[in-house]
Amino acid sequence: MARSFTLSPTLSPSVRKSVSLIYHFAERESKARYKRSLLGWFWSFMNPLTTVVVYSFVFGVVYNAEPPETTNGNAENFGLYLFTGLIVWSLFTGVVNGSMGWLIGVSDLRKKIYFPTETALLGGAAANSVQTLLEAAVLIAIMLVLANLSWTVVFLPVALVLALLFGLGIGFIVSVFNARYRDVQYLVGILLNVAFFTVPIVFTEELLNRPEVPDLARTLITWNPPSLFVEIARDATYFLEVPQWNRLLAAAAWGIVTFSIGWVYFRDQSMAISEEP
Amino acid sequence: MSVGSITVRGVSKKFRLERNRPSSIKEAVLRIGRKSDVDDFWVLRDIDLDIAPGSFFGLIGHNGSGKSTLLRLMAGIHRPTTGTIESEGRLSALLELGSGFHPDLTGRENVYLNGAMLGLSRKHMAASMDQIIEFSGIGEFIDEPVKIYSSGMYVRLGFAVAVNVDPELLLVDEVIAVGDEEFQRRCMEHMNKLRAGGTTIVLVSHNTQLMADLCDRLGWLDHGRLMKVGEPAEVIEAYLAHVDKGGNTLTTRD
Ligand SMILES: Nc1ncnc2c1ncn2[C@@H]1O[C@H](COP(=O)(O)OP(=O)(O)OP(=O)(O)O)[C@@H](O)[C@H]1O
Ligand SMILES: [Mg+2]
Repeated sequence: MARSFTLSPTLSPSVRKSVSLIYHFAERESKARYKRSLLGWFWSFMNPLTTVVVYSFVFGVVYNAEPPETTNGNAENFGLYLFTGLIVWSLFTGVVNGSMGWLIGVSDLRKKIYFPTETALLGGAAANSVQTLLEAAVLIAIMLVLANLSWTVVFLPVALVLALLFGLGIGFIVSVFNARYRDVQYLVGILLNVAFFTVPIVFTEELLNRPEVPDLARTLITWNPPSLFVEIARDATYFLEVPQWNRLLAAAAWGIVTFSIGWVYFRDQSMAISEEP
Repeated sequence: MSVGSITVRGVSKKFRLERNRPSSIKEAVLRIGRKSDVDDFWVLRDIDLDIAPGSFFGLIGHNGSGKSTLLRLMAGIHRPTTGTIESEGRLSALLELGSGFHPDLTGRENVYLNGAMLGLSRKHMAASMDQIIEFSGIGEFIDEPVKIYSSGMYVRLGFAVAVNVDPELLLVDEVIAVGDEEFQRRCMEHMNKLRAGGTTIVLVSHNTQLMADLCDRLGWLDHGRLMKVGEPAEVIEAYLAHVDKGGNTLTTRD
């Protein structure tokens, strides 16, 4: 029997509909982001790059912070240490913050026509993922030039996918809250700013292991989900080590469980969005 | 179930009306422990209805009787509080002004978006694009954002999309009344053409004359209850007799 190699015949009509909607929302999000800008995607590189340059200067030059040692010493640079963490962190926060706006953006539409509402969030997240892929490509290119690349790089996509799932799970929940009470977005913004300092992005594990740091703080900072994702990405592209299996397991559990809970909650609540006044 | 049918079984719809409902977390927190002002408002009660494939069904009733709500339930926009509602086939709906249009997108982009929501590919929509522009008669405004459209232009484009996506089920609320005489006539003609092609149509209108002309069967809603379903002439007669008796008051929330 002749086999068809196109994807569409194997997808059910409702899945196909969702896929084309996700594509639509992703495209719209990407276009809207750099609408009326000449340099378009260029700005999406500038944002993380300026952050890296500023942080490298402040921590590397002003405070003279030592970048963590690596096995080969080729890429011991505080800026690169930061960049690796920031890629994961900005994917996570971008999806959480974005999801609230993506849902509000389609709520008027959803009052007039039925469509699977989660496609708006998945589309927005897809647009953010493209941006993350570009950043990851920049990082890998730099590491290649500095000869600090090994097969452990395969754990980078693992970290990113888990961070994305975790961010979407939280995004599904906070976006429903925000549809009801618009001040949720400000609260989430503040909480994420605080959470930034519970993740070893601007500080190193060495700093954390000093005796002055309370044990509880150390445990929380080591085992909170964004830290796990960040550390896996660091192991993959900065330290070039295989991530500890218990961290991988914990990270996978956080990502998958949070996504599933958020998904079920969103599917249940999103019908009510059409009835909000 | 066969394609083009709608089955409504024991459907009731309750909206939660919250007087002074909190709109911020602060208000919600301040209100903790106080008696809630939540009211349940039943907009539809125990509706049973079968709409056969290929039929032209009309809904009449006073303002606030629940006609639009019933259409929204059929379109899957709201979920019924009790009962089930099932429809089979590609469903296209024109429920209110700007139905399913995103104000910031151009007319053309909205056509693609609407297609995606109906599960139609970009290619399919591109193929019907000329037909849609032609039918709507909005010309080069197709590439302007729809937020600058007039009410009539909204409806024209909305109707053009709704009928040009090969719907097997078409739900139309009274919006076409916003169009001018010429456009309304074109809509009627086109609906007749769709019906001839086997599309099931559900139409809401206050124009009893029009309903008598177009529909095979009518349903009369009164305060959320389906009072009568049957031959248009009979249903209209019963409805008008009820209006004459002064029974046609706006729904009150008690
Ligand atoms: N989202 C909602 N939340 C609360 N109440 C609602 C909502 N939507 C509709 N209602 C109420 O439900 C009742 C029925 O509304 P509906 O729009 O179905 O009436 P209708 O029969 O279409 O009236 P009209 O002839 O004026 O169009 C109204 O009293 C309306 O206030
Ligand atoms: Mg109405």
